[in-house]
Amino acid sequence: MSLLTVENLSVHSALQEMVAPISLQLDPGQAVTLIGETGSGKSLFAQALLGTLPTGLHAQGVLSLLGQQVAIDNPTAIEGLWGRAISVLPQEPWRALDPLMRAWGQVEEVYRLVARSDTPEKATRAVLNALDLGKAGDRFPFELSGGMAQRLAIAAARAGGAKIVIADEPSKGLDLARRDEVARRLRIVPETGGALLTITHDLELAEMLGGEIIVLREGQIVERGPAMQVLRAPQAPYTRKLIAAEPRHWPAPPAPHPGAPILTATGLTVARGGKVLFSGLDISLHAGEVVGLCGPSGVGKSSLGDTLLGLADPAAGQISRGAGLAPIRFQKLWQDPPAAFASHQRIGQGLADLMALHGIARDRLPPLLARLRLDPALLERLPTEVSGGELQRLAIVRALLLDPVMLFADEPSSRLDPLTQREVIGMLTDLARSQGIALLLVSHSPDLIAQATDRQVHLNENPGAPQAAATLQTA
Amino acid sequence: MIRALGWRLAQAGMVAFLVAISSFLMMRALPGDMVMRIAGARFGYDNITAENAELVRAQLGDPSGIGAFFGWFSGMLRGDLGNSLVSGMPVSAEIGHQLGATAQLAGGAIVLSLLIGPPLGIAAGLRPGGWFDRLTLLLAAALKATPQFLLGLVLIVLVSIALGLLPAAGHGAPQHLVLPALTLALGLAAATTRITREALVQARQSDWWRFARWKGLREDQVLLFHGLRHVAVPVLTLIAAQFVALMEGVVVVETIFGWPGIGHALVHAVFHRDVPMVQGTALMMGLAFVLVNACADIAARLLDPREARQ
Repeated sequence: MSLLTVENLSVHSALQEMVAPISLQLDPGQAVTLIGETGSGKSLFAQALLGTLPTGLHAQGVLSLLGQQVAIDNPTAIEGLWGRAISVLPQEPWRALDPLMRAWGQVEEVYRLVARSDTPEKATRAVLNALDLGKAGDRFPFELSGGMAQRLAIAAARAGGAKIVIADEPSKGLDLARRDEVARRLRIVPETGGALLTITHDLELAEMLGGEIIVLREGQIVERGPAMQVLRAPQAPYTRKLIAAEPRHWPAPPAPHPGAPILTATGLTVARGGKVLFSGLDISLHAGEVVGLCGPSGVGKSSLGDTLLGLADPAAGQISRGAGLAPIRFQKLWQDPPAAFASHQRIGQGLADLMALHGIARDRLPPLLARLRLDPALLERLPTEVSGGELQRLAIVRALLLDPVMLFADEPSSRLDPLTQREVIGMLTDLARSQGIALLLVSHSPDLIAQATDRQVHLNENPGAPQAAATLQTA
Repeated sequence: MIRALGWRLAQAGMVAFLVAISSFLMMRALPGDMVMRIAGARFGYDNITAENAELVRAQLGDPSGIGAFFGWFSGMLRGDLGNSLVSGMPVSAEIGHQLGATAQLAGGAIVLSLLIGPPLGIAAGLRPGGWFDRLTLLLAAALKATPQFLLGLVLIVLVSIALGLLPAAGHGAPQHLVLPALTLALGLAAATTRITREALVQARQSDWWRFARWKGLREDQVLLFHGLRHVAVPVLTLIAAQFVALMEGVVVVETIFGWPGIGHALVHAVFHRDVPMVQGTALMMGLAFVLVNACADIAARLLDPREARQ
C-alpha cells in the first residue's frame, strides 16, 4: 500500500491558479524531489500537503494517506497527522528547536505525547545515542553545534513515528560537509521503509537523494522522471537552464586586471570572544579584483571581513588602507537580505535617508537601479514584499551609492535559488571589475568561488597555527 | 552569576548612600520648623507651644543639622538606624513591624496581579486582533491611566459601601487584605496582561512553535510545555521593574486603607519630620528594590540560560 497518494493537487488564489494539478505517489522506500526556482510553486505544493497554505490560497485535489482519504481543504484534518503520519524537517534547525529547552526534552516529549510510548525515556536515549547525541541531552540548543542541532531536529521530527518525511530546503545555508551529512540522513528515510518528499533548489542534493525528480516552473510541471535521467539528460530547455545555473557550469571569469592596492594587511591575528581564530595572515586587495574567501564554517571568514572593513579590531597585525579613502567606502553585503533592511520601512525611504545623511545627489539612484535591472516601483515596497534576489540587488545598490572601494560580500547568494544566484553574483563581479571595486567574496560553495573569483584565500581550521603558507593561492 | 550578584551588592551600597543623603536633604528642604512639627507629633497639635518645642530641642539638638546626618549615617553603617524622633523607639523595631504588613500587602498584590494578568494576556494572545484582545487593551490602558488613589476610592465606594461585601479599612483579618491588594494588583495586571500577550504572539510566530506543532504536539501542549516558559521570562522581568511603581502605590494605598505598613509609616514620618524614620523606611524600600531585582535576575537566568552561559 502506498504511504501517500496525491491526485491532481492544485493551488489557487481567488484570481489565478498558482500550482497546476500535480499527481504523485509515495510508496515505502521511495524518494521524490521537487526542484525549481523561487516562485515555482514547489513550496506551495508542500504547504498544501501540510495544510499550511497562507490565507487566501486554497488547495484542490485528492489526498490519501495510508489508503485513507484526507480532506485537503480542511487544514485541521491534516494538522492531526503531523508527527504521526507526516513529519516535517525544519529548514533551519537552530531556529526550530525551543531555545529554552534542553535537547533531551525536545525529543522525549514527542515520544511521550505524540507516539504515546510506554517507555519514552528509553526511546529517547536510544535515538540520541544512535545520532551521536548521547552526551548532549543536557545541553540547550545554543550549546549545540550546527550539525548536532540538525541531528537533534531530525530525531525530534521523526519521534512521532511518521513514515512520510517532508524536507523543505533542507540544505539552505549549509556548507558542503553539513549538506552531505543531511543528504545521508535523508537517504535513510526511504532505506528504512519510509518515503521522502524533498523541496529544494540544490541540484547536487537532489542528485544525492535519487528517486524521482519533478521540475516545476511557474506552477507547471516542466519535466519529471528518475533523478539521473533528468539531471544527466534533461529534455526541457528550462531544466537545462537550471543545470547551467549551477556554479560548476558557469563560464570561466575574464582574465584579472588588478589595479592599485586598496588594502594591505600583514601578520593579521583575529580573535573572537577571546579565542584566536587564525594568526599570521597576510592579505592584500586591489582595485577591480575579485577575491574568494573559503574555509569551513566557524573558521572566522566573517570576522576577517569585519576586521578588514574596520568594523572590528585585529588582535595583532597591521592593516593599511589606501591613502585618502574614507572608512565609509569599505562596505559589506550581508548573507540574509531581509535582515539587512528595516522591516517596517519602505525600501525607497531607507535609501532616501541614506542619501540625505551622506549628501548624495538623488539623481545617482535611477542609473544604479537600471544597471542592476531593478524596477523603480520596488522602492515603494516593504522588504517583505520583494523577492530575495531583488532585495540583495537593492542591497548592492545601497552599497554602491556610497562609492565603495572595497566590498565584503558575506555569502551574498546562499539563500537564493541557482538562477537568481547566478544573476546576482554575475552582476556583483561585473560591477567590481568595471568600477574598480575590490570584492572579497565568501561562499561555502567551492564551485562558485572557483568560477567567479580571480584568486582565493583559504582559511584553515587550525586556530593559532601559522597560516602564512596557506593563505594565498592564485587560481 | 557571581559577577551579577556582586554588581547587585554594589548597587545596594550605592542605594543606601543615595537614599540616606537625598531623604535627609529633602526633609531639610521642606518648609516649617522641624522641631515644632516633632513637638506637634509628640504632644498633639493643640499643644505646640514654645516651651514644648524647647523641650524637644533640648532633647534632640537640631535634627536638621549636618551633625545629625553624620550621626545617623555612621549608625547605619553599624546596622543601627537610630531612634524615632517622635516615639523615641528604635527605628529598626518600628520598621520591622511595618515591613511585615507591607510585605503582606505587596505580596498579595503581586499574587493577585499574576492571577489576573497572565491568564488574560494568554487568552488575548491566542487570538491577536480579536475582540477579547482589543477589550483587554482598552481595559489595560484605562487601568494604567487611573491613579491608584482614585481606583482605591472607587473600589471602597463600590465594594464596601454600595455592596457592603468587604471592609473599607483595617488590618488583621484576611478580608482586610482584598481591597488594598486588588487596588495595587489591577495596575500591575494591566501591564502584565500586555507583556504576556506580546510574548505569546511573538512565540506563536516563531519557528520553534511551528516545529513543535509539526512534531505532533497540539496547540495547547505547545503552549503548556514550551510557550509558558517563554512568556514567563519577560513577565518576571516586568514584575521586578514594576517594583518602584508598586512601592509608590503602597504609600498611597496604605494611607487610603489605613494599612499599618511601611508606606503608611513613611507618610506619617514625613508629616512629623521624623528624619530617622523617613531615612529608615526609604532605605528599606531601596534595598527591597535591589533584592527583588536580584531575585528576578536569578530566576530569569534559570529560565533562560542563554545569556548566562554565553
